[in-house]
Amino acid sequence: MSAVQEALPAIRGSRDATVRRFALTDAIFHGMTRAAAILVLVLLGGVAISLFAGSWQALSTFGFSFLTSESWNPVTEKFGALAPIYGTIITSAIAILIAVPLGIGIAIFLTELCPRPLRRPIGMAVELLAGIPSIIYGIWGLFVLAPFLQTTVQPFIISAFHGIPGLNSLFAGPPYGIGLLTSSLILAIMVLPFITSITKDVFDTVPPVLKESAYGIGCTTWEVTRRVVIPYTRIGIMGGVMLGLGRALGETMAVTFVIGNAHRISTSLFAPATTISATIANEFTEAVGDLYTSSLVALGLILFVITFLILAIARYMLMRIDARTGA
Amino acid sequence: MSQMLSPDMTIAAEAIAGKAKIEVKNLNFYYGQSKALKDITLSLPERSVTAFIGPSGCGKSTLLRVFNRIYELYPKQTAEGQVLLDGQNVLDRSQDLNLLRTKIGMVFQKPTPFPMSIYENIAFGVRLYEKISKSEMDGRVEQALKRAALWTEVKDKLNASGLSLSGGQQQRLCIARTVAVKPEVILLDEPASALDPLSTAKIEELIDELQADYTIVIVTHNMQQAARVSKQTAFMYLGELVEFDRTEKIFTSPREKRTQDYITGRFG
Repeated sequence: MSAVQEALPAIRGSRDATVRRFALTDAIFHGMTRAAAILVLVLLGGVAISLFAGSWQALSTFGFSFLTSESWNPVTEKFGALAPIYGTIITSAIAILIAVPLGIGIAIFLTELCPRPLRRPIGMAVELLAGIPSIIYGIWGLFVLAPFLQTTVQPFIISAFHGIPGLNSLFAGPPYGIGLLTSSLILAIMVLPFITSITKDVFDTVPPVLKESAYGIGCTTWEVTRRVVIPYTRIGIMGGVMLGLGRALGETMAVTFVIGNAHRISTSLFAPATTISATIANEFTEAVGDLYTSSLVALGLILFVITFLILAIARYMLMRIDARTGA
Repeated sequence: MSQMLSPDMTIAAEAIAGKAKIEVKNLNFYYGQSKALKDITLSLPERSVTAFIGPSGCGKSTLLRVFNRIYELYPKQTAEGQVLLDGQNVLDRSQDLNLLRTKIGMVFQKPTPFPMSIYENIAFGVRLYEKISKSEMDGRVEQALKRAALWTEVKDKLNASGLSLSGGQQQRLCIARTVAVKPEVILLDEPASALDPLSTAKIEELIDELQADYTIVIVTHNMQQAARVSKQTAFMYLGELVEFDRTEKIFTSPREKRTQDYITGRFG
């Protein structure tokens, strides 16, 4: 009894020391993780600020006409971003138009119809598409897809739609092979895995009992998918599409190979064009004047803003479906 | 065990009045390798409520899920034996599943409104198999909702989402949806276990009214509920059908000791 009482102060002392040590390591750990998190914000802010600073000269020289002018003339130093903005939005939009039905189709097949042993191999094959470096898509697009389109598909479409108002200007010759449509096709293949895997994941969030009740009143698989699964996951699918769109907007290398890099806006989808990222990648090395460089940075700023908005919308939509399935 | 029982079972089956709507013969069911139903034989009379009771995992829900072959949505679940609906074996390969499921409707433990309006929740199923005009459809929806005792509560907000209703209302919506496609049999898998006592009472009242037109099978954990709503009760234990008889008989003088023990709360 008395021995224990004598020992008590010593035990207390060592315990206090341990607690203080714990408090210190805890504080260090806390500080380090917080610093890591803050670093991301600092980097993001830094990128935004330097983009803005770098583009200031171009933006102050051209003002609002930078967004509305189509001319891009390094000799006279007159720069307008309309053609690259147009190219970026059109190629991404067509890519999404192609990739969304395909991606949703693959996701439906994988979640609802596919025999179980095939499910993983096909799913993995689709995800491997995402792992192919974009330069390889570019080379493949330039040396395989573009010549193929040039010699077979494009001449056929041009002659088929010849004389049909609207369509004849949309698919006007000559068949270069490279151009808006070729870029869109490459982009569609590149965003397909994103859209497929997100759609597949949100389809998996549909409660089995909901599908059972739809089958229970005599629905076919198509009816269950069309009327129950897709409406239930609508917001999530939209989120996936937006993420794919964000990716398509910023894709540089593959597009640079096959877009044709022409600063003009043409109604024909077969015509060479350019995108924001392709312009920057192509012209940065040869941009001699300050105003030229500043204009390229301003293009970057515009892309940054567009992509940021798209991704923010995507995140918001995915958050909403998370909140609903969590409830 | 089951061989010992079978003479008694025959007697019980005779004691249960009425023409058989569903006859189950020597049914075995497997989840992969494990056997979940062991040689089940019973016959369910037409236009009458039959309850399946028994502890969790006894196979009562499994048996229910065989009737409309909903189990086939999942791989590695197999049924052997016969389930005769009006003398036709529904387990036959040639049985059209969608047609079968319009004849045998099902309501689940958790309410499962479709992600659409209240009106569409009901019209959807009807539209799958019938081409009817807008006014006829309005009538069908109203009739189904009245049938499910939900009409007065929702008649002013038919375009609201089915998900906006309370749990009890959602469950009645699901019953209305099932009734609207005019099935012959309604399977209820613990339809009231997620509901409050008031909603439960409404559902039970509803079951009582529906049995005039439909053959109803209800799986329930709640023995009072089985006693209140059903005409005959099957007690299942570990995948076997232990006893099947008129409900009063099961709850007042069961033949089997295991039934006696379960209903008096000695196990399960």
